[in-house]
Amino acid sequence: MTDWNAMSDAEFRKEVRDFFEAEYPEELRHLPHRPKFAEIEHWHRKLHAKGWVAPAWPTEYGGMGLNAAKLLIFYEEQQRWGVNRGRDMGIQMVGPLIIKFGTQEQKDYWLPRILSCEDIWCQGYSEPGAGSDLANLRTRAEIEGDEFVINGQKIWTTMAHDATHIFMLVRTDPDTPKKQQGISFLLAPMDQPGVEVRTITTLSGETEFCEVFFDNARTPRENLVGELNKGWTMAKALLSFERIFIGSPSLAQNALGQLENFARGRGAFEDPVFRDRFAQAALDVEDHAALYGRFADQLKRGETLGADVSMLKIWVTECFQRITELMIEAAGADGGTIGPLQVGNVSVDVLASFYKARPTTIYGGSNEIQRNILSKAVLGLPS
Amino acid sequence: MNSSDQEDLRLLRESARTLFDRAGGSGRARKLRDAGGGWDGNMIRELAEAGVFGVTVPEDNGGLGMGLAAGGVIAEEVGRVIAPEPVVVTIGLSLGLLRRLCPDHAKMEQLVGGETVLAVAWLERGPNGGPAEASCRYADGKLTGGKAWVVGASDAQGFLVVAEGDAGPVVVLAEAGADGLSVEERRQADGSAMGELSFSGTPAEELAIGGAVPGALAEAVKDATALAAAELVGLSARAFEIALEYIKTREQFDKPIGSFQVIQHRAVDLNVMCEVAQSGVREALALMDSETDPKARARLASRAKARAVTAAKKVTRDAIQLHGAVGYTDEFDIGLYLNRALVLSAWLGDDAYHRRIWFEAREEEAAQ
Repeated sequence: MTDWNAMSDAEFRKEVRDFFEAEYPEELRHLPHRPKFAEIEHWHRKLHAKGWVAPAWPTEYGGMGLNAAKLLIFYEEQQRWGVNRGRDMGIQMVGPLIIKFGTQEQKDYWLPRILSCEDIWCQGYSEPGAGSDLANLRTRAEIEGDEFVINGQKIWTTMAHDATHIFMLVRTDPDTPKKQQGISFLLAPMDQPGVEVRTITTLSGETEFCEVFFDNARTPRENLVGELNKGWTMAKALLSFERIFIGSPSLAQNALGQLENFARGRGAFEDPVFRDRFAQAALDVEDHAALYGRFADQLKRGETLGADVSMLKIWVTECFQRITELMIEAAGADGGTIGPLQVGNVSVDVLASFYKARPTTIYGGSNEIQRNILSKAVLGLPS
Repeated sequence: MNSSDQEDLRLLRESARTLFDRAGGSGRARKLRDAGGGWDGNMIRELAEAGVFGVTVPEDNGGLGMGLAAGGVIAEEVGRVIAPEPVVVTIGLSLGLLRRLCPDHAKMEQLVGGETVLAVAWLERGPNGGPAEASCRYADGKLTGGKAWVVGASDAQGFLVVAEGDAGPVVVLAEAGADGLSVEERRQADGSAMGELSFSGTPAEELAIGGAVPGALAEAVKDATALAAAELVGLSARAFEIALEYIKTREQFDKPIGSFQVIQHRAVDLNVMCEVAQSGVREALALMDSETDPKARARLASRAKARAVTAAKKVTRDAIQLHGAVGYTDEFDIGLYLNRALVLSAWLGDDAYHRRIWFEAREEEAAQ
């Protein structure tokens, strides 16, 4: 088995880049929507055969065992080539949790099925009354014999209509002094009478978000991961790497490239006002990338990241939005037109980019929540 | 940049910070301003002893041979205490010009050793008050004409003047107080003065002549632009710290005002602005060290100054707002930072100007 971490960064980057460029299906590059599994299954099979489905997992569980620095390179190359992340909730969220907190039986049963996508997972965290205030969640799971019986509702469950299983945070003890206590991490099958999925149509007309209703849905007791009532701390433990990933420059960089092509084709650079605003946006992206590099270097030196990494997400998502807003401006009277706009030999879907940028300041902890975190944890401002 | 370079920069930063703090930090800037502007001769000598002025000068010429990234480290520390000494002028302009044109001239050693301070004069003012085509002449060993926007003109021991000679552009040295030289001071927001020079047959020594002059001047100005950006980064970082300290201690409605969310979010935005500026400017300076293409160096210097000015304007102005009424008085140090930021932003071009230069340089690079 290859020890990827022993490679130089440059060697490893080349290895990853070569594979993506040679093997990734052209028609799936930079997909503007989240695909159903069937649409990307042929790519998943290739990735699975290569053993690259789970770059972050330890090799003993079928992962690549990449350290943080190599992992960052892997994701950078993935985004650079427009490689779809696939249906990776199992890989990114459930797998690491089972590896860290699960029993041997749970590992043996679930992990291979996650890698092969025999099971496809969705994430049941948010609820109508538990968004930024996630610990306010109310979906109940009560033990009855060998099963948990689940009642309640989840929302913003990405691709639940194309998932076989859901991993969820549920309330298993409603009488605790702090609402963060009494929450457990539970796995449940979707294909049962007590589970109903309704898709939510977004502003862009996509249906990737869902509501999931639980009406006496059932899951075996052995599908509890970790200790009962300890789910909150477990779920939080997973988020540390996500916080740099969610602040990576690639979305904004890709959008800036599109903006430049489009604006050049449309002659927008003849307008000095537009030139200045483009320069602002481009410099915002360049200087953000420099800051991102500083945090990435920290990871490479083996240091853990502090709460200050949240500033990456704030800056880059707001910058991404400004860039897509500039695209709409450059489109002029076509700014409200659905679908790709042809400019010379490139086509740019300005509305798709605009819509894609909107939720970035909301998901993964809204930017307002990120500012709350920074003000307390980094600046030490009082309550 | 490798880790031993990083370690060198860290040591350099520490020694510069210690030196400035021992001398009295930003309190020293206030005293010097109240004494009429200008700088402290002892400080110049101490900085020279620490090797500050020779940071980018090759070791063969008596410098540290460390490059612009190291110069930026020093400039950041200058900015943190808003020191009025002409560190960026000396490293970026005077030595930037001489080390490219006449590295063996005796003035090099004197500048590195802090024995003399020179001001650099290359811009001219037109009838409408804006910049004009250069018309200052040098013939038969004498200067005729004028120069504008000369930083440090009141206290410099001499002037490096870029002029048109009979056989092409020249750099000449005119001593302060030379015959036919008059200096009109234009007082700046931070208490310093910019000089408007006029020469009528002023004797000057020719240091360099010919085609190398415009290029050397352009590169020296880029160095100074990038270093001024670093100075603004240090200034912004310290201005933010002062504001943060203030909102943690100032109480209204029986609570520190820093407990209010609207204040907290503004503080976070300033902090993020400072961090982005620091990373962007440091990266730009490090890239300039390994870059020889003039267009790429122009792009990088402008990237640095555009970012640093945007950040410094935002941080110092919001810092006044966070201080409330006392921020508008001369009693609090935060005002000194606002005023210094105004001067450093306008000098060598502000953010809007540099975004234009950045864009043009990028287009020209792409067309190469």
